[in-house]
Amino acid sequence: MTSPVATLLAYARTNHPRSVVGIEEARGLDPERFDAYANLLLGWAMQVLGDRAIARTVDAFVEFTTDVNMAQGRYEASGSYEHKSYRECYEAVYADKGAMDDYLWGVYLTNFLWVHHLDLSAFFETRFVAKLPAKAALIEIAPGHGGWGLLALHRRSDARLDGFDISPSSIEIARALATAAGVSDRARYELRDALDLTSHPPGVADACICNFLVEHLEEPDKLFEVIHHVLAPGGKAFVSGALTAAQVDHIFELRRESELVMLAERHGMRVLETLSVSPQRTLPRARFLPRSMSLIVQKRTREDW
Amino acid sequence: MSTMDELTSVFQQVFDDDELIVTRTTSAADVDGWDSLTHVSLMLVIEKRFGIRFKSAQVASLKNVGELADLIETLPRK
Repeated sequence: MTSPVATLLAYARTNHPRSVVGIEEARGLDPERFDAYANLLLGWAMQVLGDRAIARTVDAFVEFTTDVNMAQGRYEASGSYEHKSYRECYEAVYADKGAMDDYLWGVYLTNFLWVHHLDLSAFFETRFVAKLPAKAALIEIAPGHGGWGLLALHRRSDARLDGFDISPSSIEIARALATAAGVSDRARYELRDALDLTSHPPGVADACICNFLVEHLEEPDKLFEVIHHVLAPGGKAFVSGALTAAQVDHIFELRRESELVMLAERHGMRVLETLSVSPQRTLPRARFLPRSMSLIVQKRTREDW
Repeated sequence: MSTMDELTSVFQQVFDDDELIVTRTTSAADVDGWDSLTHVSLMLVIEKRFGIRFKSAQVASLKNVGELADLIETLPRK
């Protein structure tokens, strides 16, 4: 039987030859790790989408990546992100369910098809998930497709997760993938603006996951208030953000790694570990290096630690 | 200058090859270095040259220069 990753590679070579260089670059860095993530995530997607899973997700990935690169090119020319408010992004992307579904499936594949995100996936798994306390209660803020939290539940059969997202497409896809991953009894998703979670019971999460939300917000401080609010004292969070990396719905421009560190510190968190990664190739003569950065932070119990 | 002539000029600029001539059937398989990133550079130069704006879905699915030329003709110029 042909593996999901072999089917993906064959489909990409036939239908998206321009994208093959990047895909093979990601696989070439660590084929074993790439294949493990690809077969796991694609296997879940195939249970949700059936026979059309590879075509649907790879087409969505290529369109999403094209969109990101076009946005980066416009950012290079203008020096600032195109949109500045949630309202603009809502009208450009979020209001269209079909576009949102494609967007989420496209992002889902970036967890292994973008070579630098493959590094983040490994960082997440080895440095965060593996160190979760026994029977950890997780909160995932804006899970999007749900892949990050589901990977945690897949690796840790004693953990459970509550996810909150403002997007109906997100809730629908995350629930379907949770069922495919066989963890639906431990994953609960609720349609809710995650920034409203300051009204959630405080200190209920042993750990929190929030990947690539901060750059979509007009006021990123609110996100870190929420993370601090839901974490139990000493609880840890895995938080990721994009730096000088344009996308149609990125509105808050982070330029330096220290900005994310300071956001966390300003809101009662101690930064334990960080990883900042970038693509191997960028647009010609780029002045901005698009980066993705993850932080593992811990809710402080004292003034400084 | 025809659309195809304009496109040949853009391709020569982006791929830094004065000898490069494109036809309607030219695809990524025919041009060394035409990968996803170069494709975006190409599209951004074309946007500027023709005074148009692409949607990502339109440019992601283009199979060859002919489809690109046809798309350019359908888009309003600024």
